[in-house]
Amino acid sequence: MKQSFVFSGSGGQGIMSAGIMLAYAAIDEAKHATYLPEYGPEQRGGSAKCTVIISDGDIISPLTKKCDNLICMNEQAYRKFSDDLKPGGLLVLNSSRIKNEEVRDDVRVLSIPVDDIALELGNVKVANIVLIGALIGATDIVSKDVFVKSLEEKFKSKKPEILEMNINALNKGIELAK
Amino acid sequence: MEKRFMKGCEAIAEAAVRGGCRFFAGYPITPQNEIPEYLSWRLPEVGGAFVQGESEVASINMVYGAAATGKRALTSSSGPGISLKAEGISYLASAQLPAVIVNISRGGPGLGSIQPAQSDYLQATKALGHGGFRAMVFAPATLQEAVDLTYNAWDYAERYRNPVMILMDGCLGAIMEEVELPEMKNSNPEDIEDWCLDRIGDRTDSHMITPILPEPALELLNKGKAMQYKMWEMLDTKVEEFMLEDAEYVVVAYGIAARVAKEAILRLREEGYKVGMVRPITLYPFPKASLNNLDYTKVKGVIDIEMTIPAQMREDIELQVKDRCPVHEYGRSGGMLLDDEGVYEAIAEIVKGGE
Amino acid sequence: MAEYKRPKSLMPMATGYCPGCLHALATRLVADVIDELGQAENAINVVSVGCSALNLYSWCGDVIGSAHGRAPAVATGVKRCLPERLVFTYQGDGDLAAIGLAEIMSAANRGENFTVVFANNQTYGMTGGQMAPTTLLGQKTTTSRDGRDCLTTGYPMKMCELISVLEAPVFVARYALNTPKGVMDAKKGIKKAFEKQLRGEGFTFIELLTNCPTNWGMNPLDTLEYMNTNTIPYFTPGVFKDKEAEK
Repeated sequence: MKQSFVFSGSGGQGIMSAGIMLAYAAIDEAKHATYLPEYGPEQRGGSAKCTVIISDGDIISPLTKKCDNLICMNEQAYRKFSDDLKPGGLLVLNSSRIKNEEVRDDVRVLSIPVDDIALELGNVKVANIVLIGALIGATDIVSKDVFVKSLEEKFKSKKPEILEMNINALNKGIELAK
Repeated sequence: MEKRFMKGCEAIAEAAVRGGCRFFAGYPITPQNEIPEYLSWRLPEVGGAFVQGESEVASINMVYGAAATGKRALTSSSGPGISLKAEGISYLASAQLPAVIVNISRGGPGLGSIQPAQSDYLQATKALGHGGFRAMVFAPATLQEAVDLTYNAWDYAERYRNPVMILMDGCLGAIMEEVELPEMKNSNPEDIEDWCLDRIGDRTDSHMITPILPEPALELLNKGKAMQYKMWEMLDTKVEEFMLEDAEYVVVAYGIAARVAKEAILRLREEGYKVGMVRPITLYPFPKASLNNLDYTKVKGVIDIEMTIPAQMREDIELQVKDRCPVHEYGRSGGMLLDDEGVYEAIAEIVKGGE
Repeated sequence: MAEYKRPKSLMPMATGYCPGCLHALATRLVADVIDELGQAENAINVVSVGCSALNLYSWCGDVIGSAHGRAPAVATGVKRCLPERLVFTYQGDGDLAAIGLAEIMSAANRGENFTVVFANNQTYGMTGGQMAPTTLLGQKTTTSRDGRDCLTTGYPMKMCELISVLEAPVFVARYALNTPKGVMDAKKGIKKAFEKQLRGEGFTFIELLTNCPTNWGMNPLDTLEYMNTNTIPYFTPGVFKDKEAEK
């Protein structure tokens, strides 16, 4: 099975790190993965997009026009990339920021206020972890246990509260997607 | 073997270190900055030297100086910077110094675009600098291949005492993929004591490294190099031939374009169309035989797919096809990426149109 | 009295420099110092482009030819890989102060541990006497036939002064080779610079004021007098920076 994910938003929203974390988790599960970042020339605040492909077999091309899963963190990203989602694909919207858009009706839509949830949990920076939780909940692309392990690895030198907040964010995302 | 999920530029940098590279000089330019950034801390770890040059011009000349000492030296850049290095690469060729130059290419011409493109094929294969010399050009399509080619690049550079180029588009420089990293190689090159500036053994005579020669000696050098280039063609051409046996249409593509094309070929095969591919891994020497020896009683068309417009490899292809079938081209350019659908449609139109 | 012999570091052949050219003397001074320091086999001469390129053929020790202006970059690569060797560049004023300005300033600023010997004859000798960045105001050349005009070409570039304002260089000095005293001082200066390099102190820069009888259109003796009345008043000899003395 092969699945492609496009994460889109603006710089600073944790788009790139969400993509990398998902790819790492897939590798940890002995799957194949590619991660392709695309940036504008800006160092901060420009548009951010990355494509992650996860597959049980070899990944021949890391470049795909249409994706199976599209994650949009703001309205500009939705407007720019919504056509790139395959019909029947999964669209995950950050409803904290995407409020007034008319959304495609030929795809599965998950609207989650990830910014608000992250703020409730203590830090807007965990918004991307809520997102990954939603993806795990909706697609089973990687197992929750493997992702928790990679969070533990990532935050092992930080305070335990930080790891806890991230795991809470993950659980919340999974819960909302189910 | 050690497996790691790595970014293309960093995989190249680590492979270089493991391949014995102990000197790097370079200047910041997108999209290859992760190479100098990585080597700035990695080379000192293994007793090597990293210098951030004041320009690409200076950097390639630092590499020239380092290569003259016998150390394995590397520089990297992207299109605009490679143009600036052209002078130094020519001097490396003239002084017969081994060194490796990485081009993580972007959209051109001019300052062009910082987004990926395959727009430097002609520069790499025909004229990396003035004066009429050639360098081997390796064009990996996966990060594993990039690692393997980089790891062994100095073997070729030292064997032939000639610069070697690794040409990879910004897409492969930026993607992350799993790679197997080879063991650390011995960083002391062999058989260099006859020419290098380092005093290896009990040398008492002196060595001259020179980019200028008396005319008869220069002609002799050029004649020797001409023979060497023929030898590369016979011994060192690398190519992947994919599903050629029964192919009626043959795609020619390298690097990232070949990966996108391969996916399209598999899809067309599922639909029953006989499409195959020649993927040059060495762009110079170009895999002439793979194209010259196709069965043109069967082959109805050759399709050149490149992430640049106009296609630059086309002339090399046409020289082998020799009008035995039509040659088509499809590409994207200026930093606009090839994608699976566009490439599929371009090939399908030709293949299905031929019915 | 000392015997006047060919230095070990120079080939037993004519240097190729024009009769009366002080480049030959400058090269000889460098070779003498290297002999005296017992560095003939340890030295690496990084040769540049211009008349100074003639050193490629007259030098006995290890030598590497570099592209125009790039000798300090080449020397950086050499010295970083072979830190125990005595590495020096030998560059003219077109090479160093025009096309190679970025390389010389940056190598000096990094404090690279090699020595630059800069022969300043205020013209492009090998290409036929064109105006150099160091050409004096009013001086006639093949590209400034009425004499150098500051309104269109600026002023002669003072490299010692420029380099001495950088933090990293440890010894920066200028000598004029048109008098016996200048020659003796220059030799001492070159020796001091090389000794500092061998001690690993950092970047050293020696400027030698030389002549070009052929392109100045004068007989050699007249060039020496011309230097006294024209060159030296503008390019003042002296030590511009000596980190040791500053302490």
